[in-house]
Amino acid sequence: MFEVIVPGLETSIQDYPGRIGFWNQGFPPSGPMDSWSFRLANLLVGNDAGAAGLEVQYMGPTLKFQRDGVIAITGADMLPKLDGQPAPMWESFAVKSGQTLALSFSKVGVRSYIAIAGGVDTPPWLGSRSTFHKAGVGGMQGRALQKGQVVPVAKGTGTPGRKAKPECRPTFATDKIWTIEVVAGPNDDWVDEAGHKQFLSSDWKLSSKSDRTGFRLEGPQWTFTEKAYKKAPENGAEPSNIIDQGYPLGAINLAGQTPIILVNDGPSMGGFINPYTVPSAAFWKLGQSKPGDIYRFKSISVDEAQTLRKKLNSVCSASSIA
Amino acid sequence: MAEKIETMVPGNVWKVLVKAGDKVAAGDVLFILEVMKTEVPHSAGEAGTVKAVHITEGQEGVDAGTLAVEIG
Amino acid sequence: MIYEKPKYLPGGDRYMLIEFGNEMNLELNFMAQGLASAIEKSRNTGVIETAPCFASMLIHYDPDKISFKDLAKEMQTLIDGLGPSDDIELDSRLFYFPTCYLDPWTKAAVDDYCAKITKKKWDPEFVAELNGLKDVHQFVRVHSGTEYWVASLGFWPGLPFMMALDPRCVITAPKYNPPRTWTPQGTVGMGGASTAIYPVATPGGYQIFARIPVPIWDTEKRFPQFEKSICLFQPGDRVKFVPVSPQEFEEVEAQVKAGTYVYNVVEYQRFSVRNYKAWVKTLDKSQRF
Repeated sequence: MFEVIVPGLETSIQDYPGRIGFWNQGFPPSGPMDSWSFRLANLLVGNDAGAAGLEVQYMGPTLKFQRDGVIAITGADMLPKLDGQPAPMWESFAVKSGQTLALSFSKVGVRSYIAIAGGVDTPPWLGSRSTFHKAGVGGMQGRALQKGQVVPVAKGTGTPGRKAKPECRPTFATDKIWTIEVVAGPNDDWVDEAGHKQFLSSDWKLSSKSDRTGFRLEGPQWTFTEKAYKKAPENGAEPSNIIDQGYPLGAINLAGQTPIILVNDGPSMGGFINPYTVPSAAFWKLGQSKPGDIYRFKSISVDEAQTLRKKLNSVCSASSIA
Repeated sequence: MAEKIETMVPGNVWKVLVKAGDKVAAGDVLFILEVMKTEVPHSAGEAGTVKAVHITEGQEGVDAGTLAVEIG
Repeated sequence: MIYEKPKYLPGGDRYMLIEFGNEMNLELNFMAQGLASAIEKSRNTGVIETAPCFASMLIHYDPDKISFKDLAKEMQTLIDGLGPSDDIELDSRLFYFPTCYLDPWTKAAVDDYCAKITKKKWDPEFVAELNGLKDVHQFVRVHSGTEYWVASLGFWPGLPFMMALDPRCVITAPKYNPPRTWTPQGTVGMGGASTAIYPVATPGGYQIFARIPVPIWDTEKRFPQFEKSICLFQPGDRVKFVPVSPQEFEEVEAQVKAGTYVYNVVEYQRFSVRNYKAWVKTLDKSQRF
């Protein structure tokens, strides 16, 4: 339904909640990093909130439509233009066969989402259309969009002019500082009191060595409890080594002294401890932050994290569309 | 004829290929940024002479929209 | 140590990690897999998926359907229902793989590492020496002399982590430091006390010493074993490495390429922890092959 004229830095097909049920074979869910913006885009064009759409990272694509349709763009503002004229954000609008949509790059936030009425219609892999490029599955031939590809979209009826209520949209940090909620565990008892205090009171810089597999953080050294030193030798030599264990999505994985937040395309298991986990409701912040941004972590309980998730799910519904 | 080339992505400066005084043709790559393990080349839109270079090779954490090279 | 009572640890808003112990002990993995099987049978609607690992299990649950506390209670009930781990019985497929030990391809990868990164002893020699084995040939007899238990999959999609079932064949090996930047597809390697097979060419840190020509990963689903998934293994499978020559390796490789290769899988067996432990008791662990 649309041809890829310019692919952009890394534009891929994703759906929500992604590829579920294959964690025990090593498949992460993939899916959109900022599922808040993603779901609103779908609702704007009348799709189910989880329908397949595009995730655009850093630099946007140029797409040429081959038939009429209704689309919406949410997330980071990459100054979208339809046939050279500014196109709206957070609002559904009509596109006609032959028209070209071009996204540039964003100064605030880094990921944009494009939904098309009917939803992207590539063949699902293991139950999902989400792209997991490491394994070459999902999306268009298992990778980010390439120039010249024609992406199929199912027939759908969207209504132009629907808007996402401003109070229902995420607000991205403009001062490069983000407060990220975290829940202690699973391996919080491997870090001593001083280590916890340090983690929660320091500024952690997002490293440029970050992508959808993991978000690497730069900051002070961690300190550990006796548990990290007095353990069976097969755990490993480093204090942060543990017998290989399953990793929760969002785990802050301590590889030696380097914390790496495991995100949508990350590994499902490994031999390092996870003292904290970023809850699902905070993932959109990860998805919109860029290298050089500062994270300040705020510890919340499991209950509080689940309440945030409920709140976010209710915002990602038809009640947010006017 | 002056052209201001800004960075299109936030990232690290991997390579700077020009210095003040160099003559460039339209399409010449001026510098390459690196983000998400991907190289992002930035090219001159028009021919001209490099007036100033505001970034250095190896520089880390440059914002998108930063003035990088000026061509006169 | 095997914990008297498993630990229930939260992972954010949607995950629970159940720790059965803190050592590499097959028993702990049997418990993890026994629990995974019991959860599936119970049709617990709150659990979305499970991922057993060596001594633990990760659960992904739906907080709208069940709370962390209630899930922990339900899991404890299921674990109590499993009874002692001796009572655990699991369906377990057995795969025979033609395996070229001391092969030229992994040797080339090690040589490349020595040339470009840092010098080390050839992996089979290194591991043989470390484990007090006579020579690389004894290493091959010992490594190939046991069935391997697929304890978990992960780190890379489809990558199996396996433990030797015969205690006379347990070998340990440290990981590369720094790791290799590449490993041939189908490489068999060891790190710590676990054996792994590389499903595709990836970087890695395990000691490497053999290669199989049979895909354990197939996005094209060219063979019937991949009908349900592109990944061959499930936790609870067993593997037997059958030593073959490089010539035989290449013959099988050609069959795979032609699509005529037939997987050698045994699918009628049930693994009994009780029987396994009784058998292990009869063995003299100091007797190597």
